[in-house]
Amino acid sequence: MCGIVGCVGRGEETLSTLVHGLSKLEYRGYDSAGVALADGDLDVVKRAGELDDLRAALDGDSLSGRVGIGHTRWSTHGPPTDANAHPHRDCTERVAVVHNGIIENYEDLKADLLEAGHEFRSDTDTEVVPHLVEDRLAAGDDPEAAVRAAVSRLEGSYAIAVVVAGDDRVFAAREDSPLVLGLGDDAYYLASDVPAFREFTDRVVYLEDGEFAVISADEWRVTDDEGRRIDRDVDTVEWSPEETGKSGYDHFMLKEIHEQPRSLRQCLRERVSELAGSVSLDVDVDPDGVQFVACGTSYHAALCGVHLFQQAGIPAQAFLASEYATSPPPVDGDLVVGVTQSGETADTLSALREAKRRGAETLAVTNVVGSSVSRECDQTLYIRAGPEIGVAATKTFSSQVVALALLVLSLTGASRHDIAALRDLPGNVQQVLDESDAEEIARAYEGSDAYFFIGRGLQFPVSLEGALKFKEISYEHAEGFAAGELKHGPLALVTENTPVFALVTGDGEQARKTIGNVKEVEARGAPVVAVTDGKSDVHRYADHVLDIPASDQRTAAILANVQLQLVSYHAAALLGRSIDKPRNLAKSVTVE
Amino acid sequence: MTIDTAVVLAAGEGNRLRPLTHNRPKPMLPAANRPILEYVLDALVDAGISKLCLVVGYKRDRVQDHFGPTYRDVPIDYVVQKKQLGSGHALQQAAGAVDDSFVVVNGDRVIQSKMVSAVVDAHEDASAVLAVLEHGNAQRYGAVDVENDTITAFVEKPDRRAFRLINAGVYAFDRSIFDALARADRIDGTLPLTTAVESLVAERKVQAVRTNGLWVDATYPWDLLEVAREVLRHGLVEAPERDRDVWVADSARIDPEATLQGPVVVGPDTEVAAGAVVGPNVALGRNATVGANATVEGAVLDTDTRVGAGSVLVDCVTGHDVHLGPATVVPGGPADVQVGDAIHRGERLGAVFGDRVRAEGGVSCAPGTLVGTSARLRTGVVVAGQVKTDTEVVR
Repeated sequence: MCGIVGCVGRGEETLSTLVHGLSKLEYRGYDSAGVALADGDLDVVKRAGELDDLRAALDGDSLSGRVGIGHTRWSTHGPPTDANAHPHRDCTERVAVVHNGIIENYEDLKADLLEAGHEFRSDTDTEVVPHLVEDRLAAGDDPEAAVRAAVSRLEGSYAIAVVVAGDDRVFAAREDSPLVLGLGDDAYYLASDVPAFREFTDRVVYLEDGEFAVISADEWRVTDDEGRRIDRDVDTVEWSPEETGKSGYDHFMLKEIHEQPRSLRQCLRERVSELAGSVSLDVDVDPDGVQFVACGTSYHAALCGVHLFQQAGIPAQAFLASEYATSPPPVDGDLVVGVTQSGETADTLSALREAKRRGAETLAVTNVVGSSVSRECDQTLYIRAGPEIGVAATKTFSSQVVALALLVLSLTGASRHDIAALRDLPGNVQQVLDESDAEEIARAYEGSDAYFFIGRGLQFPVSLEGALKFKEISYEHAEGFAAGELKHGPLALVTENTPVFALVTGDGEQARKTIGNVKEVEARGAPVVAVTDGKSDVHRYADHVLDIPASDQRTAAILANVQLQLVSYHAAALLGRSIDKPRNLAKSVTVE
Repeated sequence: MTIDTAVVLAAGEGNRLRPLTHNRPKPMLPAANRPILEYVLDALVDAGISKLCLVVGYKRDRVQDHFGPTYRDVPIDYVVQKKQLGSGHALQQAAGAVDDSFVVVNGDRVIQSKMVSAVVDAHEDASAVLAVLEHGNAQRYGAVDVENDTITAFVEKPDRRAFRLINAGVYAFDRSIFDALARADRIDGTLPLTTAVESLVAERKVQAVRTNGLWVDATYPWDLLEVAREVLRHGLVEAPERDRDVWVADSARIDPEATLQGPVVVGPDTEVAAGAVVGPNVALGRNATVGANATVEGAVLDTDTRVGAGSVLVDCVTGHDVHLGPATVVPGGPADVQVGDAIHRGERLGAVFGDRVRAEGGVSCAPGTLVGTSARLRTGVVVAGQVKTDTEVVR
């Protein structure tokens, strides 16, 4: 996962435009960054570290050039060092390349190039590309033909941008990694994602796999792999550039946690009617069974989906996308649902392609209009959560679960009670935000050895999600368990210094059993934080209580999760962590 | 020079509006079915302001969550006033965020863009400008005396009825206001903006610019009913007009067997069931529900309010997420209403319900009832006077 940018037509502002673009793509990676400016000469500056390190390196350096590319990196091949940072150059230092993705045949290509006398300066897969271009230039190709020829030899996934000294164009190509063109009045842009240039234009062209693009000061052109021009529709981006601001919060994560009432309203808008007891979605499916493929937080939302489908009598399973292709299950009659916030998650896309190859109907559940998953799947259900910038997913989890609940209700029919519960959800989330004691809890348990989360039924995936959120932003050890599994092993980890967050909602059999597990924990001296709607007597066994409003059991899972989001946020804030950009992580992972 | 920046003072609670301000500041209370602050920002943006600085404090997340980083494509800079030490102190917090000249407005009163334009234009010739307007109830607000466009006297809540002009709370300043604020004496530790302006008035440095148009303020909860009436009368609502004086958001669902009697506005995602009669002078917020055969008249029902089947609500204000069960009866004012130690006689008020009140079926409210936040009214109770926050009322 990396971010790439490019622009022409910005004159003296080329460098600042590139750096601005990279700052908007930092969510895609931030362990090294670099830029290349071409205009007669080729200048490259790149640094390991965050974008500020690159800014410092650029300070005082009078880089100029009217054509440029840039890169922010999340390491896959080779550690984050200056040498491994992009852009990469050829031996003559006349070609510079930035790349997002993985070139699978790079070892073969590199061996050939080394044999031919090329010298490599990095450990990356990307560096083969400039050397391939160099060879073609030496053979007499013009720059465009040289880049085309080089790209045609690559296998794997890539969004690539190339500049060549003495040429005032940027060349780009895409295969399985996102790439979008921005069309300004006097300038053209390209980037992995729209925020990179949204300040300058709202007119965009999303490239498809196998397409090649050339931008110059006065022209943009999209062609197929044989150079034939393709007429592409120009889309208009509907959100404003400022939607990616923090609106007075210290972190995007907290802003996005607080946005949940609004994003849930958007998810539900014009899709439900309480008085008619109806759900209407722009999705037409009638599956015998459902297979979910997803990663990370989206996988936890998918596990909630499994529970909701099973309860409605529709067989459902969830698979970690990265495991799905390894031993794919039979798909006859099953709908394969890919849940991915960004719509670009490589593991999920790859699992969906495998399912498609085996004849399955596919449905994307995603947040990003125009994303790869929405173009590759047969149908798409948008969760409408709005841009999410914090690397730790929050509001998109809630909207994913609600979207899946809507999908179930659209298949099985909804009662007025079902719809009322969903319509009450935004207000209930607001109540949690207004009244939460999460900050005090985080403070009370700061410095514990580990943090455990337990739940049953729908609250089991929430306990997994609570633990994932906690570990990814606080860097503390956290684990989620099915409450009933505790006694089959994990109980050995429980001590007086390992708080256990118990998710107990309702007052039925599930709650009663989980309370039994709470007593097991309590007997080992571990402090218990109950997250509860107050319907059971779990508060009697808990050291602390995080209240959620009494509601339907399906929406209770989302409300409990909001409390855990706040606990994680405050725990990480107390530790002074880099909450929006946790170490080693990137927002959406476009490599497998 | 022209002014492109506005400072909006939105940090105060407005404690006389309790219980409605339990979870949000006064600027976020509804004028009809949109927050008062939206009207203020509309007035500023319509007048050409391109940079908004919101001073926030009390329950500031509500302001930030609602508006986000931008309003109508105009970027918002949030400045935090940690302690609410008065409007002058609030403005001081914004000192680093403004240029040489700027507009200052209160975020808690509905204003119109011509008032903003007027002070911006007049600022060409004066370093401090204040919009004034005639008001029939001048003694209730800050009144001013004007001679030849210069303000000569500045009287907060005068006794005499002679003062006909009031301070509209719309100013244009240059940075000298910060000097005046630095010199001004604090009153009980607080620093009202008017104190600093008063010192400039004494030096005859404040120019008055006369304006007119919609200017409405809410001091007490029941004033929100009057504010809604005024806003609806001026047609200042966001939803498309379906019939004369009937505005319904596109995403709202109105049963064909329901009656909407204008003036009435219905917010996004709201549903109105068969047989319901809604209006006149009703504002329904976002995602509200009016059940079958309910009657709602002269009411402001805010976001996520649920009105059960067969209820009758007259002269009624609800906060967020209020659930009123079937056959709730609020017959309406006038009434004597007690707020703190003061009794307000003859106010037209049925009942005020704070956020998250739950009334089970068959609850009746005597005229002038104030129900505190999260109170639970069990089946069939009759309530009057004040019900405290979080209490449960049983038969």
